Amino acid sequence: MAEITVEHLTKRYGETLAVDDLSFTVEAGRVTGFLGPNGAGKSTTLRALLGLVRPTSGRALVMGRPFHELKDPVQAVGAALDAHDVHPGRSGRGHLRTIAAAAGLPSSRVDEVLDMVELTPARDRRVKGYSMGMRQRLALAAALLGDPRILMLDEPANGLDPQGMRWLRDILVRLAGEGRAVLISSHVLSEVEQTVDSVVVIGAGRLVMQGSLAELVKGDRRPALVRSPRADELRELLVHAGASVAVDGRPDSMHVHHASLEEIGTLAAEHGIPIFELTHEVTTLEDRFLELTGESGNVR
Amino acid sequence: MKALKSEWLKLVSVRTTWALLGAMVLIEGLAAGLATSLGDIDDLRKGNVSTFIIGTHLATVFMFTLGALLSTSEFRHGTANSTFVVTPRRERVILAKLAVGLAVGVVGALLYVAAHAGIGLSILSSRGVDIDSGLAVDGYLGVGLGLVLGCEFGVALGAVLRNQVLTIIVGLVLFLLAGTVALFIGTDVGQYFPGEALLALQNTPSVDLLSQTSGGLVLAGYCVALGIAGAALTRRREIG
Repeated sequence: MAEITVEHLTKRYGETLAVDDLSFTVEAGRVTGFLGPNGAGKSTTLRALLGLVRPTSGRALVMGRPFHELKDPVQAVGAALDAHDVHPGRSGRGHLRTIAAAAGLPSSRVDEVLDMVELTPARDRRVKGYSMGMRQRLALAAALLGDPRILMLDEPANGLDPQGMRWLRDILVRLAGEGRAVLISSHVLSEVEQTVDSVVVIGAGRLVMQGSLAELVKGDRRPALVRSPRADELRELLVHAGASVAVDGRPDSMHVHHASLEEIGTLAAEHGIPIFELTHEVTTLEDRFLELTGESGNVR
Repeated sequence: MKALKSEWLKLVSVRTTWALLGAMVLIEGLAAGLATSLGDIDDLRKGNVSTFIIGTHLATVFMFTLGALLSTSEFRHGTANSTFVVTPRRERVILAKLAVGLAVGVVGALLYVAAHAGIGLSILSSRGVDIDSGLAVDGYLGVGLGLVLGCEFGVALGAVLRNQVLTIIVGLVLFLLAGTVALFIGTDVGQYFPGEALLALQNTPSVDLLSQTSGGLVLAGYCVALGIAGAALTRRREIG
């Protein structure tokens, strides 16, 4: 049985259709990326799974049940919806203690999770003075309190510095390795592509695709960034070979569409043209999403 | 019990709680000191305790605000999310908040009486004014209960309205404009308004108010009704 099952979930707010007949599943033992542009319905779906909003139709099930029917919700699901959901006047430790008390957990567990997210030195400071990265760690700590089977994190990488990103990646992969189902939402593919095993992509409240990360990236038509001291020469060769090339004002670089990195590298080598850089450009999920759906740039 | 402990921790883990209680004690102690030391000695002799129980409105507003924050800060700061994920039986959270509101209301009332009576009565006795102890007990009991119910009213109203600013404004209107409402719509109905009931409970001298007991019961009735409404609404409403 899947840890999370969303079946034909629809949520309507007045005129707005936030989630539209969405179905997907999330399995244990892996990190699943829940991806889509801002306003695609990710947070609404997570809220429906957590029993905070009621579906207009369809079902959002955790371990096969609606959230409010779970015997022990704290051991089943740990959730972090928004890193700002903290009283700024409370200390990090004080914040966690209020949640631990409601869950019937001892305050020693609070210190354990503070240790896990490496927030112990700041635990007695008021959250007001926390950086965004520290707030994200605190939110993750709160989600971990009940040692849950399922973790649901809404945009956990938002506001993290690169060091924080690496830290988050390591801890999430480790938690999934312990057999937990980890669902993390993001609107930036590059934020999570090194973390997730599988993806659920949604747009305008609908499922765009569910599958492995490889399936998402397959058919990736991200442009290649090429730097070469003989850029003009290489550009002519690429255009001749059927690629389209855009320049950005720097004399030694260009952006190449419709040619793989292998094709570009081979072509350059055949003509003895040195290459200083040859890489896929960083693409946001929005780009990929627009490619997948072929829709215009407007997010509803 | 779990929800109760959590709500208590929420209350005591923010400075606002202590600031409100401290400010109330300070202001009420000062008010009692000024009223009893500067008041005309004959007036003080003639009157009962209520002539120097001034400033109680402000104390009620402080306690009401404390109660309102107990409910509304969850929505103001977004902690309602984790609160209701951890405790999906949402009515338990509201009941726990009402219980904690009652407890901190009693604490506030005791602090008030200690500061006010401690300073006021000792100054009066040093000026040679004898206070009827029966009247003093009635007076302080009324004001004390008014503070407890004021706090509870804040918790219950906050659970219904959720919005922090709106809750506090509604509370201020009800309690600070008390008396005025009755004037405009007539005392038949007006005396049953929360602010007027509070004045009656606090033994405010006026011909157009309910008796002290009835005032207390009416105010308690509002707390119960709003509390039930708050719990029922919180169960049904969506969070976020």
